[in-house]
Amino acid sequence: MEFKELDPTLHSQLRLAVMSLLISVKEAEFTFLKEKTNATSGNLSVQISKLKEAGYIEIVKQFNNNYPQTICKITPVGIEAFENYVKALQSYMTL
Amino acid sequence: MEEKQLSEKESLELITSMINKAKNKVTESGALYLFWGWLILLCCIVQFVGLHFFNYAYSFYVWYSTWILLIFQFFYIIKQKKSLGVKSYTGEINGFVWLAFFICMVLVIFISIHFKYYEIIFPLILVMYGIPTFLSGIILKFRPLIIGGACCWAFSFLSSFVTSEYQSLFIAAAVIAAWIIPGYILKQNFKKEKNNGV
Repeated sequence: MEFKELDPTLHSQLRLAVMSLLISVKEAEFTFLKEKTNATSGNLSVQISKLKEAGYIEIVKQFNNNYPQTICKITPVGIEAFENYVKALQSYMTL
Repeated sequence: MEEKQLSEKESLELITSMINKAKNKVTESGALYLFWGWLILLCCIVQFVGLHFFNYAYSFYVWYSTWILLIFQFFYIIKQKKSLGVKSYTGEINGFVWLAFFICMVLVIFISIHFKYYEIIFPLILVMYGIPTFLSGIILKFRPLIIGGACCWAFSFLSSFVTSEYQSLFIAAAVIAAWIIPGYILKQNFKKEKNNGV
């Protein structure tokens, strides 16, 4: 049985939670991610920046009725990384 | 959410729980089904009563009230999108299905009036109603809408055997089956999920 290494970018509680939410929807606002993960704004902001640096998500900042809005969307690279991560997890679980 | 070292089992549990949270958030509230259902029902009744009891030929003007709801719907959807904070794939597909229905319905009404086939407008509208209702039921995995869509097609078939005066009653029956009843069930489910804090 071949062991697949777990992607360190995804093997973190908050980053994995964000990626799991984003894989289920087309796009989500920062406030939606914050509400669902129960994370603090500061921590969530740091973790989504790391996901963006890895190319796993796209972040669009815009204004809606004078309110700043941050929209996050998973990228094809992110989808592939998430699928590989789940496959790696499954290989560990079937041991 | 605290940062901690995850075991493989915890990772899979976290993924499942987050996917379920995202899935539940985008449940349809049923509001638009109810707005449209009640307005169309009202229009059908007004038209039937006007024609049948008062012989008032212009009672079909009541249908112009649908334009007011259309404008209201435009602002309602914008507001709803903001409050959800998320755009789902199913929601987007569902939206396009209803947009396609609206465009086709306007064209069907225009073509029927253009060729003066007034008596086929209502049966054709029922055929059209059935399509987005049935497809929404499939997309949302919601059986009352699937049944509602099928009812529209059945009422369309039956309405072709009566005069145009009575056809509006078949539309009324169809909106009760396809929009009002599913709308209230959706509303109830939505409230339940909201109370459960999902």
